[in-house]
Amino acid sequence: MSKRAGSPGTPPAPAAFRVLVVDDDADMVAFLGLLLQREGMKVETASDGDAALAHVSATPPDLVLLDVMMPGASGFEVCRQLKSDEATALIPVVLVTSLEDSDSRVRGIEAGADDFLSKPVKREELLARVKTLRRLHETRKELESRRLAAEVQRKDAIRKAFSRYISPRLADRIADAAGDQGDPFQGRAQRTNLVALFADLRGFTRLTEKNEVGAVVGMLNEYFAVLTDAAYQHDGTIFNMAGDSLLVGFNVPFPQPDAAERAWRTALEMVGRFAPVAAAWHRRHGLDLGVGVGICTGEAIIGNVGSEHYANYTIIGNPVNTAARLMQMAAAGEVLVCGPVYERIRRLLSGYSVTERGDVALRGRSEPIAVFAVQASTEASA
Amino acid sequence: MIKSNLMVTVAKDLEDLIPVFFKNRHKELESLRRALASGDFDQLRHLGHRMKGVGNSYGFATISEIGKRIEDGARDSDRKAIDACIGEYADYLSKVQVVYE
Repeated sequence: MSKRAGSPGTPPAPAAFRVLVVDDDADMVAFLGLLLQREGMKVETASDGDAALAHVSATPPDLVLLDVMMPGASGFEVCRQLKSDEATALIPVVLVTSLEDSDSRVRGIEAGADDFLSKPVKREELLARVKTLRRLHETRKELESRRLAAEVQRKDAIRKAFSRYISPRLADRIADAAGDQGDPFQGRAQRTNLVALFADLRGFTRLTEKNEVGAVVGMLNEYFAVLTDAAYQHDGTIFNMAGDSLLVGFNVPFPQPDAAERAWRTALEMVGRFAPVAAAWHRRHGLDLGVGVGICTGEAIIGNVGSEHYANYTIIGNPVNTAARLMQMAAAGEVLVCGPVYERIRRLLSGYSVTERGDVALRGRSEPIAVFAVQASTEASA
Repeated sequence: MIKSNLMVTVAKDLEDLIPVFFKNRHKELESLRRALASGDFDQLRHLGHRMKGVGNSYGFATISEIGKRIEDGARDSDRKAIDACIGEYADYLSKVQVVYE
């Protein structure tokens, strides 16, 4: 039984080196083609310049052997067009010219030809030139494939490094946008408008008092799995996880024109998806737990904060502090939002119980701020 | 290796191509005659240039040499010289013998 190409253990056969022979003289095409085929190359042919350009455009060869004097577009014109097109500029072109025609060589150089072959063609010269260009071409392709492999590896490393902090989709965007700049988070700190969401577990203290360490860690992991999934679902970036609280940013590090809406949907998912977990814990441990969320928007600083040995990519500023205060005020299953966030999401709130808390003085803020409380019940979020 | 200009040694691997090569040379001879009769020196120059390129590529130095003289003659519009070349070409094609090695 014959082995199929590409079956396990059989390395794929290298693709044949493809040469396009362009000449209006059928005998020259047959002669050049025969010699190249004997060297294991795949020969394709075109009988004039226009046909050659169409052929290269449709199926770019590895090398073009191009006669100069042809009907239609001359060899010079074909060469010039191939070399001026980014897609074909790297295909080596050998111009076939008369031995004594030095003018043609000058014009060929100007047209971008990689090499020349004299007519009448000596087979040794033909093979030597084609083999040299083949080696160069294959080296160039090898270098290109290595460069691409290194690029893929580097992007994978970036994805892996950040996929624990941001959603896989954001990690992909960062890796794709990274170019050759390396770590995209190494840039200088900057001010930006963002939406900060803080969430924590109402009743967490009782949980830690009533349960063994191992059980607490397991429950926290279960809780954070729900919250991080919800954050990633809406492309939020997790900036901090401490105790039972989670800080998620939107509109950072990439712009999200619907950042407030994303934050609200994230809060809804956090509350809604944690509800069955809370119910199970209630049955098992007799605990009444729920997620409380605070959301605020405004200008904040984003950047790496810390020392040479330890740093956090984080967000700092009023909206972050306010979101933290709102979270502390929120009851289980409640989302507290500042006025500007409410204005952005109010069209999404029909069917939810919204209470205007009026202007609330928050610790650390000189002016009271408008606060709205939304009851993100499980039924409504389903 | 040319033993005489009428006995041409051609590489063995080109043997399959030679019948078509000569068929095309005879067509070429007729084209040369027609072009000369109509005074089409552009066509004569093109045909001469092609003979020059293809002849010795296959090992037929005489074809390249006659082709060069036709190309030059066409450039000078020298009917007499071209006529002589065409006669020489016809004679050569009728007598040339090929040995494959």
